[in-house]
Amino acid sequence: MNIELTTQQKALQMEVREYMKTVMTPELLEEMKIPEFKEGGGPEFRKQYARMGADGWIGLSWSKDLGGKELSHVEQYIFTDEVVRSGFAYPFLTTEAVTPVIAANANAEVREEVVGGVKQGKVTIAIGYSEPNAGTDLASLTTRAERDGDDWIINGQKMWTSLGNFADYVWLAARTDPDASKKHKGLTMFLVPTNIEGFSLTPVHTLGVRTNATYYSDIRLPDKYRVGEVNGGWKLITGQLNIERLSLFTHGQVASLYEGVCEWAAATDAPKGGKIIEQPWVQHNLAKVKAGLEVVKLICWKQAWAMDQGPLDMADASVAKVYSSEFFVELYRMLLEVMGQAGTIATHSPGAVLKGKLEFRWRVGAVLTFGGGTNEVQRDIIAMAGLWMPRTR
Amino acid sequence: MDFTISEEVKSAQQLAQKILGDFTEVDKLKAIEQQEERMDTALWQALAEAGLLGLDIPEGNGGTGLGFYSLTTLCEEVGRTVAPVPVIPVLVSAAGTLKRFGGSAHNEKWLGGIASGSTLVTAGLEEYNNDDPTAPASTAQKMDGGYSISGTKICVSLAKSAARILVSARAGDDLVVALVDPRAAGVTLNAQRVTTGETRHELVMDKVQVPTADIVAVGREAVAAMEWALQATRTALAAMAVGVCDKMMRITGSYTSEREQFGRAIATFQAVSHRVADCYIDVECLRLVTQQAASLIDQGRPAEEAVKMAKIWCGDVTHRVSQASQHCHGGTGVDRDYVLFRYCELARQIELTAGSSAQLVGELGQDICADYLAKAG
Ligand SMILES: Cc1cc2nc3c(=O)[nH]c(=O)nc-3n(C[C@H](O)[C@H](O)[C@H](O)COP(=O)(O)OP(=O)(O)OC[C@H]3O[C@@H](n4cnc5c(N)ncnc54)[C@H](O)[C@@H]3O)c2cc1C
Repeated sequence: MNIELTTQQKALQMEVREYMKTVMTPELLEEMKIPEFKEGGGPEFRKQYARMGADGWIGLSWSKDLGGKELSHVEQYIFTDEVVRSGFAYPFLTTEAVTPVIAANANAEVREEVVGGVKQGKVTIAIGYSEPNAGTDLASLTTRAERDGDDWIINGQKMWTSLGNFADYVWLAARTDPDASKKHKGLTMFLVPTNIEGFSLTPVHTLGVRTNATYYSDIRLPDKYRVGEVNGGWKLITGQLNIERLSLFTHGQVASLYEGVCEWAAATDAPKGGKIIEQPWVQHNLAKVKAGLEVVKLICWKQAWAMDQGPLDMADASVAKVYSSEFFVELYRMLLEVMGQAGTIATHSPGAVLKGKLEFRWRVGAVLTFGGGTNEVQRDIIAMAGLWMPRTR
Repeated sequence: MDFTISEEVKSAQQLAQKILGDFTEVDKLKAIEQQEERMDTALWQALAEAGLLGLDIPEGNGGTGLGFYSLTTLCEEVGRTVAPVPVIPVLVSAAGTLKRFGGSAHNEKWLGGIASGSTLVTAGLEEYNNDDPTAPASTAQKMDGGYSISGTKICVSLAKSAARILVSARAGDDLVVALVDPRAAGVTLNAQRVTTGETRHELVMDKVQVPTADIVAVGREAVAAMEWALQATRTALAAMAVGVCDKMMRITGSYTSEREQFGRAIATFQAVSHRVADCYIDVECLRLVTQQAASLIDQGRPAEEAVKMAKIWCGDVTHRVSQASQHCHGGTGVDRDYVLFRYCELARQIELTAGSSAQLVGELGQDICADYLAKAG
């Protein structure tokens, strides 16, 4: 039992941190001021993403025959943590969640096209699971794919297809057997090129970021774009969700907000003399944040370490999701309280503290507790898998 | 970074689990609770024979030398079984401090007897409104052949039967750590009943003459000793809380899976199962910060901040899990013929020992402030 990073792990952490500084160019920071490009997709983003590919930073966790380095989960976590901390809109779902599944299950030609493209930082993939009437109960989705000769005809609508406005493909879950005895047994996965005829989208502007509603109208998709078995889609979806969570809740991104607020509070005068940080209630909030953050760090490390030892315990994965998502929301509030009204001043307005980062984090934070597998379902899983309690009704 | 627990430590923990399980059936616990002193001496002896009292005592002194981390896993098991044995005051606060700061004379004199179960040395680290043993109100006056100590320590475990009580006192600017004989002239022991229902003692010392042979450390060494004792005690309490809370939550999971209302197990109501799931999350968080603090101490690395965070979590989690467990049981939970109340009482005792969450959040906040003001220059 020695819960500290080794010298090599620290070196990797520093190497990624330094490299990411070169990725976050002034041009990219400028581009990210445009709401449309905040989450990536602009020309400068594409340039830097491709440079990461050329410099060999994409797909480090992949197997060697895919051109990866087979990084351990701990190393992969260190990489992820630093990239998220840098603020770069790295498409983790594309690189870590979806691409390995495609590599393992897709037809050779499509694998070459997609996996090769991702490796070079030229391809991004949006996730098309949710629909207007299929959220938490994802298996009830109704977007249809029907076989027609060598092709599939796809009709339906997806909701919240993030990155769909610039992604090259949508990783689409569709119903191929409407009569399956259990609804999750009739689903199949496809890759839909976004330049295909019959694909369209409209923007959805949220409290935080832009996402999309995507429409699939008589799309004729060659069978080579089917991934995995017909009606075998569910296991590809669920296998990917656990990995998704590992990149959503990392320590560095929130630790740097905490450090930023501490520095600000130590440098800023309080109204009645002294610095902001000298006030007991401020210290109280900062201490609460620190004690909570420590667990985020340990949970992330423990999960990554455990994945290197064998399959991740179901209850543990859910513990990490619920704790981190709820603590992130708490942390945003406790740090914003320290700033008071100044905490409401948005990015690029005069007087914005920490460039308005926290104001923005709060906006995107609302999604954390229900996104990536809602916390109610995670608690159901904890009760069943961790405590052997009966299924709730 | 490695969360692996060594095979030796694991097997010691399993052995402890077995022995503690055998000795803590309800009738046995009830019998011990009737005694004047809350201690199962037969169990203590069994632990000694299994080598478990000497986990953090060197082999040269009759121990097994597995180290501090291993000792915290024994504390966890004692919590899990609410076993009436003084592992924390004797093995952590007293023996652990003597081992590290007592030098060879004290090591040879005390550690062997503690490991074999023949001698009890306890500790009195807290005073009224003061749980910091590096800054006691008790005073020590240098005199020929030793020190004369005056002051009051509270809630001392086993004060009557212990051979010595480890205390600290101020001699001017110096701190003194001493072993006080509870039978010495000038010592008064006043019984104090605490939340767990056990009798502890207020130790009043009025010019108690402590011979040089019983002085453990003076000056900077004494400060280091008491800093260690406080950190180790807090960490051991957090480890015990892991056992207490883990068990309470499992008892509650089982009970709610059996108990039926409205024609179904109450665990099938999400409002109930989610409350227990929240306990599960809390216990995991507490376990992680506790393991971190324990492994740092085990390796002799700086642990002050990690320990504070562990004790903050310990205070919050003992409270939340205890209340949730009670709530989900309804009336059964408070019945003294049911197992739960002992866990709840011990949880509260642990929560308020050696620094509460509110206090430590305040201290941690001050540390953060000092740190960032210094960085800001
Ligand atoms: C900004 C944003 C980006 C997104 N990006 C993507 C994306 O790229 N791709 C994609 O496919 N999806 C995406 N999503 C969708 C996201 O995954 C869903 O919002 C999520 O699955 C929840 O579904 P829902 O919104 O339909 O809510 P609902 O499922 O309707 O849930 C509403 C409430 O009911 C509760 N509830 C539901 N079921 C239960 C139950 N069994 N027990 C107790 N309570 C329950 C939930 O916890 C929640 O509080 C995104 C969403 C947002 C807001």
